[in-house]
Amino acid sequence: MIITEQKPLEEILAILEGHEAILLVGCPICATSWATGGELQLAEMKVALEEAGKRCVGLLMPDESTCDLRFTRLKLRRSKEALAQADAVLVLSCGAGVQTVAALVDVPTYPALNSLYLARLQRLTLSDERCRLCGECVLAETGGICPVTLCPKGLANGPCGGYMDGKCEVDKEQDCAWVMIHQRLHELGQGERFQAIREPKDWSKARHPQRIDKRALQPKRKKGGGG
Amino acid sequence: MSRLQAALEAGEFVVTAEIGPPKGVDVTELLETAELLRHHVDAINVTDQQSSVMTLGSLAVSCLLQERGIESVYQVTCRDRNRIALQSDLLSAHVLGIENILCLTGDYTTLGDHPQAKPVFDLDSVTLLRTVETLQSGQDLASKPLKGSPRFFAGAVVSPGSNPLEPQIAKMEKKVRAGAKYFQTQGVYDTEQFARFMEQVEHLNVPVLVGIILLKSAGMARFMNRNVAGVHVPDHLIEEMADAEDRVKTSIEIAARLIREAKDICQGVHIMSLGWEHHIPTILDAAGV
Repeated sequence: MIITEQKPLEEILAILEGHEAILLVGCPICATSWATGGELQLAEMKVALEEAGKRCVGLLMPDESTCDLRFTRLKLRRSKEALAQADAVLVLSCGAGVQTVAALVDVPTYPALNSLYLARLQRLTLSDERCRLCGECVLAETGGICPVTLCPKGLANGPCGGYMDGKCEVDKEQDCAWVMIHQRLHELGQGERFQAIREPKDWSKARHPQRIDKRALQPKRKKGGGG
Repeated sequence: MSRLQAALEAGEFVVTAEIGPPKGVDVTELLETAELLRHHVDAINVTDQQSSVMTLGSLAVSCLLQERGIESVYQVTCRDRNRIALQSDLLSAHVLGIENILCLTGDYTTLGDHPQAKPVFDLDSVTLLRTVETLQSGQDLASKPLKGSPRFFAGAVVSPGSNPLEPQIAKMEKKVRAGAKYFQTQGVYDTEQFARFMEQVEHLNVPVLVGIILLKSAGMARFMNRNVAGVHVPDHLIEEMADAEDRVKTSIEIAARLIREAKDICQGVHIMSLGWEHHIPTILDAAGV
C-alpha cells in the first residue's frame, strides 16, 4: 500500500490561491484505507475549503484505484458538469493518482497529499515501510527482511558498527535490519546465506522513469496463414 | 611495502593514531600534531569526515603526511561517493603515494552537520574492500582494464563491544574474505571482554589493533555509554575519572593500563585521542610500547 499524508491546510490554500471553484478527487484504494483520501476526508476537505471561501463543485471517487487511468477517465466523463465548473482539481491520492487526473483534465490539478512510502499495513493506524522498489529483490537471501528498505544505509553485506543493543544508530526505536536478518536466517536454518558476499547493487535497474508494455513484450503474431 | 604492513608482517606490536582534518584549509595545527607523532607511531589515520561532519578531505591530508615522510592510513567511507568516485579516489591515492587504506561504511548522513545531504552508500565496507582487490588485479568494477594497477594495504574496522556480537563477527569474516589485511577496533575499555573477542576471531588469522579512546572526563564516558555504539566504559573507570585530582594524568594512566593489558593478545594499538595527541608519547611510554 502507498502511504500518504495530507499537506498542511495552509500549504493547500497557498497552492489553490487564485482558484475559486474546486473539484475534489479521492482514491478508493490506498488513500481510503489509510484515511487520507477516502469519502470522509473528501467531505472534511470540502468543509475546510468552503471555510476558506472556496466553492466545491464536486467530490469524485473513482470506482477503482485513482491511478487506474481507465476508471478515472470514466468517472471524470460522467462528471462533465462538475468538471466544467471547476477552475482547479485537488486530488487526495498519491502522486500517481494526481498525475493520472492531471493528464485527463484541462484545468490545473494539484496534490493535497504527500506520498511517503510503500508499506505493510499492520492496523488502520499503523503502517511501516517494507519496499523501496529497487528493481532487484534480495528477500530470498535475507530471510524475508529487506535491508534495502529497513537499513537506512541499504547495506548489502551485514550490519555496520552503529547498532546498539540491536537498535539502529539512525533511529534508536528501529531494530537493526541486519541484526534481524542474521537472527532470522539462523532460525530458518539458512545461516550460511549471511556469509555470501553480495555484489554492489545494480542501480541501473532502478532508473526512473520506468515503463512496461506487456503487449509489446509478447512475441508478434504472424499475419495471415493459420488454419 | 608500507611501514605498517612491514611491521605487522614482522610481528611487531604496531601503533597507529588518528587525526581529523579541519573544517577549512588551515592545516598548521594538524601538521604540528603529525610532526609530534612522527617518531612515536607507525602510521596516522586520517578520518574521512568523521560523524558525517564536512571537513577537508582525507585524501588531501593523507597526501600531505606522505609528502612529509609521515605514513598515513587513508580512511575511505562509502557515505558520500558512488563506485565511480570511490574507484577514482583510490587510483588517485595510489599515484599520490598512499598505500595504507581503511575501508569503512561511514556514519549515516543525518548524524552530521549536513543532514539534508543525499546519502550515497552505493558500496558498503565489504564491497569497497572487494573493489580494492579488483583494482589491484588490474581491472575496474566494470571489468575494464586499468592502465597500471594500484597497490594498497587495505584494512577495516570491527566493533568488539557490539551487542549482539555474532553479526559483527560474521561481517568481520566477510571483510577478511573481501581482502581486509588488518583491523582497527572501536574503543575498548574492557580487556577481558576484548580477550574473549580475540579468541572468537582467532581463526581469521588477521592482525587486530585494539582501539583506545582517551577518556577526558567521567561525563564523556557516560555520554559514550549512552550514545556511542559498541563502546562501554565500566563503572570503575568512570569513578576513577570522577575522583581524579588530575584528569589528564588519570586518563593517561587508564589508557596505558588498557594497552598493557591488551598488548599480549593483539597485534597493535590504535589510539583515538580527540585533540589530546600530545599525550600519546607519554601514554606509550607508560604502557611500555
